[in-house]
Amino acid sequence: MLEIQNLTKKYGHQLAVDHVSFTVPGGQVGILLGPNGAGKSTIIKSIAGLLRYEGGVGIEQMPARALEAKRIFAYVPEIPAMFDALTVREHIEYVRRAYNSPITDEGIEKLLARFELEDKQGKLGNELSKGMMQKVSICCALAIQPKVILLDEPMVGLDPAAIKELKEVVLELKSQGTTILISTHMLEMVKELWDVMFIMERGKIIGTFTREQTKDTDIEELFFQITGGGEQP
Amino acid sequence: MKGFLYLYQRTIINRVKKALKRPVTYLMAVFFLFYIVMIYNSFHVMILEGSFNSPKNMVTILSLVIFWLIPANLVSYAKRKGLLFRPSEVHFVFSSPVSPKMVLVFAGVKSFAVNVIIGIVIAVAGVMWFEASLWQMLVYFLFFVVFESILELSAIILCYGNERLPEKFFKGLVLAMYAFMAVMVGIGAYLMITEEPYFGLLQNFFAMPVVQMVPVVGWNVAVTRLIFLGPDIVNLIGTALFLISTILMFAAAWRMECTGAYYEDAMKFADEYQERRAKQKKGVASVPWLEKRRKFKQASVEYKGSYAKAIYFRQMLEYKKNPTFIFGWNTLLCLGLGVLIGAVGYFNDAVSQFGPARVFIVPGVASYMVFLFSGYATKWSKELENPYTYLIPDTPFKKMWYATKIEHMRAIVDGIFITLPGAFVFGLGPVLTVLTILLYVCLQANRLYYGMLADALVGNTLGNTGRNLIKVLLQGIAICIGIIGAVVAGVLISVEAGFFIMIVVMGLLTFAGAAAASVSFAKMEVLD
Repeated sequence: MLEIQNLTKKYGHQLAVDHVSFTVPGGQVGILLGPNGAGKSTIIKSIAGLLRYEGGVGIEQMPARALEAKRIFAYVPEIPAMFDALTVREHIEYVRRAYNSPITDEGIEKLLARFELEDKQGKLGNELSKGMMQKVSICCALAIQPKVILLDEPMVGLDPAAIKELKEVVLELKSQGTTILISTHMLEMVKELWDVMFIMERGKIIGTFTREQTKDTDIEELFFQITGGGEQP
Repeated sequence: MKGFLYLYQRTIINRVKKALKRPVTYLMAVFFLFYIVMIYNSFHVMILEGSFNSPKNMVTILSLVIFWLIPANLVSYAKRKGLLFRPSEVHFVFSSPVSPKMVLVFAGVKSFAVNVIIGIVIAVAGVMWFEASLWQMLVYFLFFVVFESILELSAIILCYGNERLPEKFFKGLVLAMYAFMAVMVGIGAYLMITEEPYFGLLQNFFAMPVVQMVPVVGWNVAVTRLIFLGPDIVNLIGTALFLISTILMFAAAWRMECTGAYYEDAMKFADEYQERRAKQKKGVASVPWLEKRRKFKQASVEYKGSYAKAIYFRQMLEYKKNPTFIFGWNTLLCLGLGVLIGAVGYFNDAVSQFGPARVFIVPGVASYMVFLFSGYATKWSKELENPYTYLIPDTPFKKMWYATKIEHMRAIVDGIFITLPGAFVFGLGPVLTVLTILLYVCLQANRLYYGMLADALVGNTLGNTGRNLIKVLLQGIAICIGIIGAVVAGVLISVEAGFFIMIVVMGLLTFAGAAAASVSFAKMEVLD
């Protein structure tokens, strides 16, 4: 389970996130939607522990900053950044050691194969294209075998095969009881994945829907009904 | 912890492996060895012949370094900018289950690794040149690499990891450090003005008990004095205070709670640093605090032409929005240099001292400056990163010319600034003055186009150093040919003719280089 309680974040005098609270129940897929500048990235970075904030973030009922919570939490940032001098395989090996993950060598091989990275294992971080980096970033997050995973615009830069694979991975993780939160603009891509949807505008959650509530309503229609579309001033 | 060890171990191994595969590494190693030998020889002569080889002098040099480095380091830690985190560390390390304090320890150790090398250099220099014994150098090495690092690491944790003290406290700490540094500079300036400046003055300054009692910095000096000059009451007290403060700071750092609130500042600094590094790689002069405050004016421009000319007018529009128009630090530098040439010439009576040779002073200094400074990339270099530059239906040469036209205009203004004060003092006539300005413009154009040519020739295969070496080589050849032409014309006809021939020869060679370099504007992949 991922809980956000009364999260507030200011950059100087500018209020980026204003008393936001929401919960993604255990084993469900939450999607965080909103126009540019709505505060999604700030929330994601706060959950990942990269920003100072007021309020609370709970991962499986533990404070997000606690090491126990970090052990079961994975994060795929919007813009991946690789270690220049580490190969693809070494990135995953580092994650395995840093998280003391139970993933086996065979598991790593399978992961690399799923994202068509087997032949790129020996490539250094600074030799990868943006799409490749995104794939490595996703593989690293999956190598943790997390209970809660946060994906910030995970489909940007991925090829169609990788997008398809990622969607399957998300559904697999869900079936294994992993809690997932995806922040994205690509509504089309998350149509069949979500269980609970949070729509943000001007730093606030302006709509929360569950799949049961919305029944057959189109996700795009719903989004534009609530926000009117466009960018934040 | 296991993850960290693996990360650093693999990083070092992969970097070494990669470096060993690159020919430029061996080239640089030869240069480095040559440099070390040169430095060793010049120091050897300087220290021994100047009878500088006493432990007292070494203590003074080390004290000077301590007084400068420690406050500067503390300022950077208090601003949370002293440790370098890369975006990859933000991505993979900050969200991992590692104590934020441990992250600081590893970042600190990474930056202290250089201390070990510095410690070895000091130890070797002490034994070889400053009559220090081996045990003294070993004790100093222990102090410098171990105790000093523990103290600094504790300061890092206390500054970065502190989540209780308000921001104001750290701002105050930074101000206090700056004030301390200003007072030190002030004392130094006062002593230099009131007393005859000599090295003994510094020795006396650091021997003062009040200086050795300055917290942290002075106590460091006290330890250094105890090791090399033997015990006295002041340095014993200072050393005791240093050890107590190290233990107390370490204990405070150990006990302090830290949840990782500093990650936000570290992440911001990582992004800023990455941006600055990318700019530096491309040779763009970057002053971050100035850029943050830069505001653009409203401006407009009339496009008097199409195709490649549009590049020039678009650049002009951008420059018109810039508060300082096309001018920048380089313009100020040229003005300063021009005034300096004039002032030095005036006060040293250059007219009678140099006689007819005085006409070569300004071009000599200007050539040296152009040759020595690699120059910085401006808007023209950004054109090469813009796909639209290549899509414009015009010839590469025209695109290159219009992309760099403003550089020549800037060079004319810089040339005027660097030439006029000297020309006035040395009594150069209007013809020679104009020729000198033109020569400066020609030299700048030569540097610009030969740099571009070196980029096009070697790309990334030899790295930045390799490219600069090729550029300097090409420039050197062109200048030598120009000088030969100038000397011949100067001897056979007149000084003016010499200048004129040099400009013509350099102009032709620059044009040839520019024509070859225009290939950079033909295909974007040339620079990849």
